[in-house]
Amino acid sequence: MAGTTGMSGSVRERLRLVVVALDDSVPGIRSLVLADAGGAPLPPFTPGSHVVLEVPAGPPGSARPRPTANAYSLTGENAHPLDYRISVLRAREGGGSAWVHDLAVGDRVTALGPRSGFAPVQRAAKHLLLGAGIGVTPLVSHLRSAVRWGRDAELVHLHRSGAGAHAADLAELAARGARVTTVTDRESFTALLDDLLRTQPFGTHLYCCGPAGFMELVTAAAARSGWPASRVHTESFGVEALDPGAPFQVAVAGRTVEVPAGTSLLEALEDAGLAVPNLCRQGVCGECRVSVTVPEGGRLVHRDLYLDDDEKRAGRCAMACVSRALPTSGAAADLEVHL
Amino acid sequence: MIRLESSSVPTWAIAPEVGTLDQRGRTFSLVVIGDPGSRHLPAARAIAEAWTAQLAARPAGAVVHRELPAEAAVAVLTADLHRALVGHRILLTGTARDCLAVRAAVLAAGAEDDEVVIGVVDATERTVWCVHCAATTVTTAALEGETSCSGCSRRLVVHPHVSRRTGHHLGYMADAEEQPWSWPEPRA
Amino acid sequence: MTALSLPTSTAADLLEGFPFPFSHDSYRYSTNVEPARSPVATPVGQWGASVVTVDSEYHRELAERAVLLERDPSRYGVLPHMEVACWDAMLVLLRELASARPDAFHLDVVDAEGPTYRWRNDLLGIEQTFVVGRRETLPAEPLAWACQQVQEDVVLLDQRSGELYGDAGVVTFAADWSFGFDLGMTFLEIHGPVPRVHAEGVIPRAREFILRLQPGQVYRRTNWTLTVGRRLDVATETYPEWGPDRAMVLHVDDDAFGHLVHLRVEVQHLLRLPESGAVMFLIRTHLLPLADIARVPAWRERTAAVLTELPQDMADYKGIAAYRSRAAAWLRDCTSTTTPAPASPSALAPEESR
Repeated sequence: MAGTTGMSGSVRERLRLVVVALDDSVPGIRSLVLADAGGAPLPPFTPGSHVVLEVPAGPPGSARPRPTANAYSLTGENAHPLDYRISVLRAREGGGSAWVHDLAVGDRVTALGPRSGFAPVQRAAKHLLLGAGIGVTPLVSHLRSAVRWGRDAELVHLHRSGAGAHAADLAELAARGARVTTVTDRESFTALLDDLLRTQPFGTHLYCCGPAGFMELVTAAAARSGWPASRVHTESFGVEALDPGAPFQVAVAGRTVEVPAGTSLLEALEDAGLAVPNLCRQGVCGECRVSVTVPEGGRLVHRDLYLDDDEKRAGRCAMACVSRALPTSGAAADLEVHL
Repeated sequence: MIRLESSSVPTWAIAPEVGTLDQRGRTFSLVVIGDPGSRHLPAARAIAEAWTAQLAARPAGAVVHRELPAEAAVAVLTADLHRALVGHRILLTGTARDCLAVRAAVLAAGAEDDEVVIGVVDATERTVWCVHCAATTVTTAALEGETSCSGCSRRLVVHPHVSRRTGHHLGYMADAEEQPWSWPEPRA
Repeated sequence: MTALSLPTSTAADLLEGFPFPFSHDSYRYSTNVEPARSPVATPVGQWGASVVTVDSEYHRELAERAVLLERDPSRYGVLPHMEVACWDAMLVLLRELASARPDAFHLDVVDAEGPTYRWRNDLLGIEQTFVVGRRETLPAEPLAWACQQVQEDVVLLDQRSGELYGDAGVVTFAADWSFGFDLGMTFLEIHGPVPRVHAEGVIPRAREFILRLQPGQVYRRTNWTLTVGRRLDVATETYPEWGPDRAMVLHVDDDAFGHLVHLRVEVQHLLRLPESGAVMFLIRTHLLPLADIARVPAWRERTAAVLTELPQDMADYKGIAAYRSRAAAWLRDCTSTTTPAPASPSALAPEESR
């Protein structure tokens, strides 16, 4: 029997890739074509999958003092990929996206193999794809797969005028029968949204990806329009940086560790000399999962993209890199961590 | 021996139970299932009335309320779902046996579990599908009890195993290991 | 009712490739999954190097599957939304055959458009060029066609709303369950009838594991029971045919008992299909009579210990309560004088063309 490590399913293939093409034609967004450094074919992936790029640490004193890892949706051919395609919005200076924007053709990058968490539902009678800005990326591979297999799909992309990522891909898929609508201001999208959500044939599934505000808008409208949870699927890459949170205390290894606002539980544990295996440090990869006990009256805020809803409700584990406890009154510590 | 709460038998098919109405639904097909004159109809009508009262604030036409035998309910609901939009819910009330049969058709027509609400008034009767001859038998035998197959006359164990696709309980031969056996043939 | 025939001697490769399932002197349910494709050495050979296994029973078992499907078409079922998953499964199965036995199976891309493949199965004399997604380029539906060429039973699990549904498959060699009845059920519903005490938590944990399985990862586990006769089809459907043998076997003499009672081991593989996101569950059934188990002293002793120690409810669930004590006693009492030690394991190639 394989131990619990095997059970976590977190073993993933590390891919050595090389940048073979770059496209900076959309302001602020860089599209990259990555191929296997040894020329081998790349593993196929489920539409909606992402890869995790390993981002090296910046120079001492820079905005990126530690190595990190960023997840990017794969936008290219999924069944027989000769290369992997990703698009990256340049976010804050010094972050992982800035590093991607500094890459040149021929540069080597290391990635963790594709991971699926936003797959099309095969049973859907129709697929309604709503994306905002760079959040269109996982929907591009959804739409490509829908066109290939003759599935009914409709995509609406909200983006700033002139800043449409993957406009050419979408135009090509539209020419092959997909319904694609582009909206360039939020008011028009909001006006369209309720009508769109109230006219979908029974059996439709909704897929939504974009900034947090956009996803809140869509999911609230879907709930208002009577959509059951089973038909609404969200992918939250492209979310803004997590808020710093309130300070809290954890009981761990027989002592109490303070987690200040703006410091993650993972960083606080590391600063206290307690090692936790970790990789992406942004709640995606699942490596820094720790067992926890929430005290009576306490609350855990997960904020990760790894655990499923049931696991989050159960509250027995957390991702040390992003999850926080809310300060409680009365309890000796706001959270117990079992390493 | 079998833990019923983790089996494929819905809890409402073990003992009567009324599901919680999902108030987020925009439109509803509500069906009281039962043959005319069935002694379970009054209880089912009461559940339907309670649901209707909870939905009283909806605009006219948002709730379509019918009373039909199971077979007719299947036909009508399948047609409903072909025309319906997302936001639609299906509310079924009647015996567990009828609810299982109609739910199977509704799921096959594309409904998800969270779009179907079930209100059961009686769970004593079930349809058993014979795994040996494929005939179905209606019985009041208990789970893990026995019934006689209407097709092949074998004594069947009513297995606590229910198909969401058909709404049937699995029935298998109760005394297969007590049947006459033959000596193995010698090696060729 | 057809009487069983006493089996003749076992082909060498079936003994050498037998996936002996016990690593301890007692057996309990566990989520015993491990990464696949790693060979496991046994005292007489090895198993587990590949995801699909082709052995000297290839022609006979595929012929038996064809007969069973003809007699009972419900052993094959595909719900309408599983079309993509079936193509996915077919491609993976053909690829795994070609990788397990490159001497006998060949899959080549002839045109990236489509894409178009050429498939050759030298054991069955099949040559087929097909385009993925185009049903008319295959002689049968994709999953059905693939299952005419692998000895494994196949179940495809659709994943939606955080749940797994057994929505397609070809299962002709089920061990006391009915694929036709279970089609469309969730993973937990399918396993509902497993008795409580020893399975506590195991099935939900297995489900969690499968939900998180990613493309490219392949895991395996084994399961086991005893079967009277070399009978692959012990589905619930045919219970009236094979059920009486459980009583019969108590009355035969020791020699016949050792040749009739088989240790039945399922090697199960789990992998995520890339295009559909469905999970493919493969069940490969191996049968070895106690007479052959006894030829390997370590297997003989361990199997006797496991059968002796097995809790009653697990023996009941496996349907072996009536004869497991005799099986244990038979193995204990059987000495090397009555069962000759095996010839040293040879590097015999599987004998597909016998």
